[in-house]
Amino acid sequence: MDVGQYLGIFLDESQEHIQALNDNLLTLEQDPENEDSINEIFRAAHSLKGMAGTMGYKRLQRLTHDTEDVFSAIRGGQMKVTSNLIDILFQALDAIQGYVDTIRDSSDEGEDDNESIIAELNKFLEGGGAPAAEGGGAAAEAAAPEGAENQESADGDKAVYRTIVLEEAQKDVMKDAIVADKKVYGFTVYIDENCMLKAARAFLVFKAIEEMGEIIVSDPSSQDIEDEKFDFSFSIFVITGEPMDKIVAAIKSVSEIEEVVGEEYNEEMVDNNGTAPEEAEASSAEAAQEAGGEDTAAAAESAEVSVEHTAAAPQAETAASSAASKKAAPAKKPVASQTVRVDIEKLDILMNLVSELIIAKNALVSSAAQMSGGSNSESQVITENVEYLESVTTNLHESVMKVRMVPIESALQRFPRMIRDLEKKLGKRMQLTITGEETELDRTVVDQIGDPLMHLLRNSADHGLETPDVRSERGKPETGSIFLNAYQEGNNVIIEVGDDGNGIDVEAVRRKIIERNFIPEEQALQMNDKEVIDVLFDPGFSMAKKVTDISGRGVGLDVVKSNIEQLGGDVEVKTKLGEGSTFIVRLPLTLAIIQALMVLVGGEKYAIALGNIQTIEDIPVSEIRLVENKEVIQLRGSVIPIIRLSDMLDAPEVERNNENLIIVVVKKGDSLAGLVVDELMGQQEVVIKSLGKYINTSRIISGATILGDGEVALIIDSNALF
Amino acid sequence: MADELRIIDNDVTQYIVVGLGNEQYGIDIKYIDNIVRMQRITRVPKSSEYFRGVINLRGEVVPVMSLRIKMGLPEDEITGKSRIIILKVDQSGSIGVLVDEVKKVYNLRADDVEDNVSHDSKSGVQSFISGVGKVENGLVSLLDISTIIGEVDI
Repeated sequence: MDVGQYLGIFLDESQEHIQALNDNLLTLEQDPENEDSINEIFRAAHSLKGMAGTMGYKRLQRLTHDTEDVFSAIRGGQMKVTSNLIDILFQALDAIQGYVDTIRDSSDEGEDDNESIIAELNKFLEGGGAPAAEGGGAAAEAAAPEGAENQESADGDKAVYRTIVLEEAQKDVMKDAIVADKKVYGFTVYIDENCMLKAARAFLVFKAIEEMGEIIVSDPSSQDIEDEKFDFSFSIFVITGEPMDKIVAAIKSVSEIEEVVGEEYNEEMVDNNGTAPEEAEASSAEAAQEAGGEDTAAAAESAEVSVEHTAAAPQAETAASSAASKKAAPAKKPVASQTVRVDIEKLDILMNLVSELIIAKNALVSSAAQMSGGSNSESQVITENVEYLESVTTNLHESVMKVRMVPIESALQRFPRMIRDLEKKLGKRMQLTITGEETELDRTVVDQIGDPLMHLLRNSADHGLETPDVRSERGKPETGSIFLNAYQEGNNVIIEVGDDGNGIDVEAVRRKIIERNFIPEEQALQMNDKEVIDVLFDPGFSMAKKVTDISGRGVGLDVVKSNIEQLGGDVEVKTKLGEGSTFIVRLPLTLAIIQALMVLVGGEKYAIALGNIQTIEDIPVSEIRLVENKEVIQLRGSVIPIIRLSDMLDAPEVERNNENLIIVVVKKGDSLAGLVVDELMGQQEVVIKSLGKYINTSRIISGATILGDGEVALIIDSNALF
Repeated sequence: MADELRIIDNDVTQYIVVGLGNEQYGIDIKYIDNIVRMQRITRVPKSSEYFRGVINLRGEVVPVMSLRIKMGLPEDEITGKSRIIILKVDQSGSIGVLVDEVKKVYNLRADDVEDNVSHDSKSGVQSFISGVGKVENGLVSLLDISTIIGEVDI
């Protein structure tokens, strides 16, 4: 089989399994007896192994195999979860991640055998595992007889075909066949859990059988099987002239079929099917012997294989039950998952096309507006249709945007593990709390926000939190808390990352600035707290007292800041000495298209994101007051600074109405500011275009957009005005 | 046929000759993506003075630079002959340069180009010139596009 086409699926799924392993290991570390976690881990490790095997990654398979052995020993109670064991397992997990990363880069697993980790794992297996321990092989031997004993009773449970309630017509057909000296068999076919194309496998089974006989009954129905609406097994009744083992062989010739259970039916059995399991039992033993011949032969082939079989069988059940508890009984209500994996590039193309469409629509809107002067019915029709088009494009844009939105969770998943590792490395006690993982953001943003957030968390762990003794001295709990809260606010998503540690020592930073001659002393002494803290975001200025490999290599906050700004967001800090600090990251919900208010300043058109606008006010000039030489207005009890955009933008002088000012009140977090504009032009959907990297401009211009008449208007980022 | 073309390519560089004031300058055709007529330029506040602003080039926003101001010549006079030459350098995106007029295309052989000109040191123009080419009716200063564009970042 050419596996190349499955590489993408393999990478995605193995990433999910690794994540599941990570999460559950963390749970297990806290709660070593947690059976759900152990089962979940076992399942993930097993799937990972199966996938690696299918794809032909031998080293990855070997490592996952040994890891799985350890989990199997834990699950079987032969081994206890200890902190050392968890450390090794995390190392193994990192090595697995390493393989997967290498595969992603080169579609090859690389040369590293990770012998030392495998040796460590086996040492644990010998120490705490089965008595005659010799790594995986020994465990296999020990488990083999047990497995054989279970085989019989498992077969009874597995013969799902016995539970099918047959319709009268079907019974008649079967009895007729038996009378006519044909044979009726019932089968339950189990497909390998790691099979990626189970519907296709089932189809091949059907095809193989239909060459020799006729399938009378199928449960689930053949339609459901075709639509993948089944778990990893299905049951069928077959009428044929061929002997049992020939059919079994035909079924087994289809790859990725794990097991076939079946027996021959007589008339009585046909009548009793689905009603009297005990009676069927006796006759099944005979049939089992017949069919079992092959099974035992296969089992004799190698002990290893048989242990895998028995291991897989209970695992299938636990997997099913854990899946059931998660997804509200998929067996009864087929959760035919209504999702599609789409390449993000395709979504990018779609988004670009929607952008083009909106630009074209805007052009149409503006020419329709010019035409609408005439009162004839034709222009009326055009106007109506343009309005209709407008609502369709707006909906289209929103839908495409929603498609691109993913929960921020995927970017945050690795943090609990990271904090755990830092805890060990730094010798501090800390607890990470994450809220708002479900907050949704554009996929591109989610992909790129992980690194900046990681920097901030490391920063909190390394510089923010004090050592346990300092903390208890200060009357704080020894375990420091680090938090990450994500939530939506208007058109932005806010992510707060902070800790209850020492906070930023502004005076220490100021001394450092002077010491390093980063800013001349007189100037540094006059800077306020905010300005001092801003220096921390300056490239090349690092605050680390001692350089650790966690942070403080001179890259850090400045990289965080520039990464976030590249995403169209910004970052600010709130800090209180001795109580902790919080970094507030503000990100735009979408990168491409926004609703904007168009305004005129000095005869030039500018767009202001509607999501940032609080109100629009008409204020007499006489109400402007001066506070500390800055213009402010009073608005419903609060004092709001006003910003004359014409000055900020060096706009050309135009004649202005001198009695009243039009003020667009914008908000950022809790603060408000009033922007003075000359004229309001109305609301419009605008497509954000970059100005490119050649042209340098003020931070308050965040991009440009193309208006309906083809003119370019600049977009004002009101968040940059605060 | 194809062989002939390759021979020409090896030896000859094509330049588009543009007028700026009384001088003529050559731009290597490999940098040129497009030449468009003068259109409405949106001013970008707080940008370097040699940037006239941005234009809409088939749905893309492209910055436009005044070659005159960049090279220390008097301010542009926009006429019917004014053109914006859209340059494309590697992956950095497009950039437009404003010129008084586009004259014609010259094929210059390597022998016709003189590098390392150092006679004119009174203006900053010189640093943007990679050489001087001889054409039938005089000399053409050849513009060093990567320097002109590259200096934007500084």
